[in-house]
Amino acid sequence: MSFTVLNPAIEPAMLSAPFAPADFAYCQALSEALLKDPQSRDYPDLIALGFWLRQANLKPLLAPYQQSDFFRQPLGLIFHSAPANVDSLFVYSGILSLLCGNQNVIRLSSRSGGSTAVLIEKIRGIADAFPLQNARFQLIQCSYDSPQLKPLIAEVDGRVLWGSDQAIQAQRQLVMPAHARELSFGHKFSLCLLGAEALLQADDTQFQQLLQMFYRDQLTFSQQGCSSAKAVIWLGDTAQVQQAQQRFWPAFTELVAHKQPLNASEQYQALANAQQLIMSSDTQLTLTQQQTISRITVAQLEPMFTNLHQGCGLFLELALTDLQRLNPMLTQAHQTLTVWGVDTSQLKNWLSTVHTGLDRIMPVGQALSFSPDWDGVNLIEQFSRKIVCQV
Amino acid sequence: MQLADELPYALAAVDKTPRMLAELQALTLWHQQQCPAYQQLVTAQWPDFSVNAAGNHNCVDNLAQLPYLAVRLFKQLELRSVPQEAVFKTLYSSGTTGTPSRIFLDRDSAAVQSKILVKIMQHWLGKARLPMLILDHPGVISDRSNFSARGAGIQGLSFMGRNHCYAFNADMSLNWTALEQFVESYGEGPVLLFGFTFMVWQHLLQALMLIGRRIHLPQGILLHSGGWKKLEDQAVSNQQFKQTVAELTGISRVHNFYGMVEQIGAIFVECNAGHLHCPVYADVLVRRPGSWEVADIGESGVLQLLSTLPRSYPGHSLLTEDRAQLLGEDNCSCGLPGKYFRILGRLPQTEARGCSDTFVPALQRKDLSGAQAETQTGAAL
Repeated sequence: MSFTVLNPAIEPAMLSAPFAPADFAYCQALSEALLKDPQSRDYPDLIALGFWLRQANLKPLLAPYQQSDFFRQPLGLIFHSAPANVDSLFVYSGILSLLCGNQNVIRLSSRSGGSTAVLIEKIRGIADAFPLQNARFQLIQCSYDSPQLKPLIAEVDGRVLWGSDQAIQAQRQLVMPAHARELSFGHKFSLCLLGAEALLQADDTQFQQLLQMFYRDQLTFSQQGCSSAKAVIWLGDTAQVQQAQQRFWPAFTELVAHKQPLNASEQYQALANAQQLIMSSDTQLTLTQQQTISRITVAQLEPMFTNLHQGCGLFLELALTDLQRLNPMLTQAHQTLTVWGVDTSQLKNWLSTVHTGLDRIMPVGQALSFSPDWDGVNLIEQFSRKIVCQV
Repeated sequence: MQLADELPYALAAVDKTPRMLAELQALTLWHQQQCPAYQQLVTAQWPDFSVNAAGNHNCVDNLAQLPYLAVRLFKQLELRSVPQEAVFKTLYSSGTTGTPSRIFLDRDSAAVQSKILVKIMQHWLGKARLPMLILDHPGVISDRSNFSARGAGIQGLSFMGRNHCYAFNADMSLNWTALEQFVESYGEGPVLLFGFTFMVWQHLLQALMLIGRRIHLPQGILLHSGGWKKLEDQAVSNQQFKQTVAELTGISRVHNFYGMVEQIGAIFVECNAGHLHCPVYADVLVRRPGSWEVADIGESGVLQLLSTLPRSYPGHSLLTEDRAQLLGEDNCSCGLPGKYFRILGRLPQTEARGCSDTFVPALQRKDLSGAQAETQTGAAL
């Protein structure tokens, strides 16, 4: 298996002070390269990334970390391992680490394609203008078992592993120095909470907005992003929930029929996966198919759903009269809860009782927005060292 | 009388469809009673069809209304409609890569499957067993550790011939001595040749071309299976395939066939008009992806296979992952009744785009495309 450096460095990599203007300029240049290229239009993830990389976004995002009563210094050499399939996810953690002053090596899967190829081209394109940043943002392509990884991992100060639980465990076989930190972002499952009463009371504009936001969260990546909801939790009494479902799903399936986000293989996958879940369940489930959207009514979030649900337009639906009933079903794998139409204080009261599961609670429409707080961890804090100075 | 007792191409739709519907409904009921997971699926997806407390269910009047199972479920679940101790033989779709399908046969199902396969083959080959040239290497069935669908296919079809001769060496090079001897001994009379489509092309036809030799088997019948994907990649059409066969071997009777290990026995053989043709024991539907409604004749969609044979596992109605086009029913220019259709290739693999990255350990990472061609065939046998 080959080991390829995709953007070879012409300068030696040197650690830098955190939040250096030249590093922001590098991000800005990458943003412009992405947003200017017509190829990016085929990849919503690249457009989103392009906007995220703008200085106008990153500077305010990082401002809170720049005023403190301690010194911040980079962690050192960080190895990032990207999942094969969320094409651009690796850039978010890689860029935050770059901005913290670190030297980064980012492993891409040899199976990456599509938007990753465009991204690599852009990163190479700005390498000459930013030789120092390029040297600290090295992309490599190799498999998990590539022999060159062993000496590299033996030198790191930290590593970030994205991917399936299996992939993460496999990569842990390589030993890091004792002082090194590890962040792992494994398989996650996300939920969307909809308030039935609010949905019934929504006027047409509000309702259409909800549909668009829900669509963006769930179908931009065919429900494959870990923060896209695979289960919809309806909150309300039984009659309300039924009416809300009758309002929501036909309108949503119409939107899907209009936009056609799913190809034939994904539609097949949704059907086959629905059948698999139904046949694997301990209880009798029911299936509703409307156009390309399949819904399975469930009474519990069974543990097997977390591992087997493959998205592509398949939703589990759980109706609750009381949010507390969700608590025993939640596990560490439950990541994002997007919420619409639920009273904030009611929500916060309930959240204070959720001791296991749920890393981020976001409004519907913002499931996919990346933040330095991810899976319960602050990346900026993890990518830097806090230097205490009490003299 | 069951459809299984009929001759393979004896019935037109008017006689076949009502009997097929009745047999498939009975099978649906049977599998619901015997296989709890299947019962759970029918209740969830086709509630009108689920068995009520009295053991009855609503009748349907149309083949399209019958429940169907996505074929990949046989890779994911152990689906049986007979007790474990009744399992006589387990078939696997592929022994080399990925998770294979597991198909459980009891003694009766295995017998019916062989009987039907023989009946269909006899229609095309005649009743006498012919000298048989196998377009593969002998290790493919003797090497038990690597006993794949390919091996099973060859072994299954071997029953149709005698005096078997393998045309290739273990490295898939042409065994010219064996080939020459076979042609000398039997070349004047009718002979049977069987191989996987791509291997016939690559290791027989291309090899003959390369060494500038021909063989002469004017009364030969070539059966081949395994899918066209690799040949399409090389832009080889069925017509070109047949023409090359005729030029290099003198064989004019060439039949492709389509089938899968998940629905064994009732295979679909290419008729004299060049179309895959349903035997009376089986039928096909083409569905539109997404709505899963039945597509019009000529419209491409996803192929559903119906067979009256599977009784030991719920495989009588399967939604395949192959794209296909129904061409017509009872009006094929070959003169045989039944539906006829065309395979348009597989649905492309869904590209997983989630963080749920599928991790493939290095040892298992092999050429998947080759394995897929094999699974498709598993050839039926």
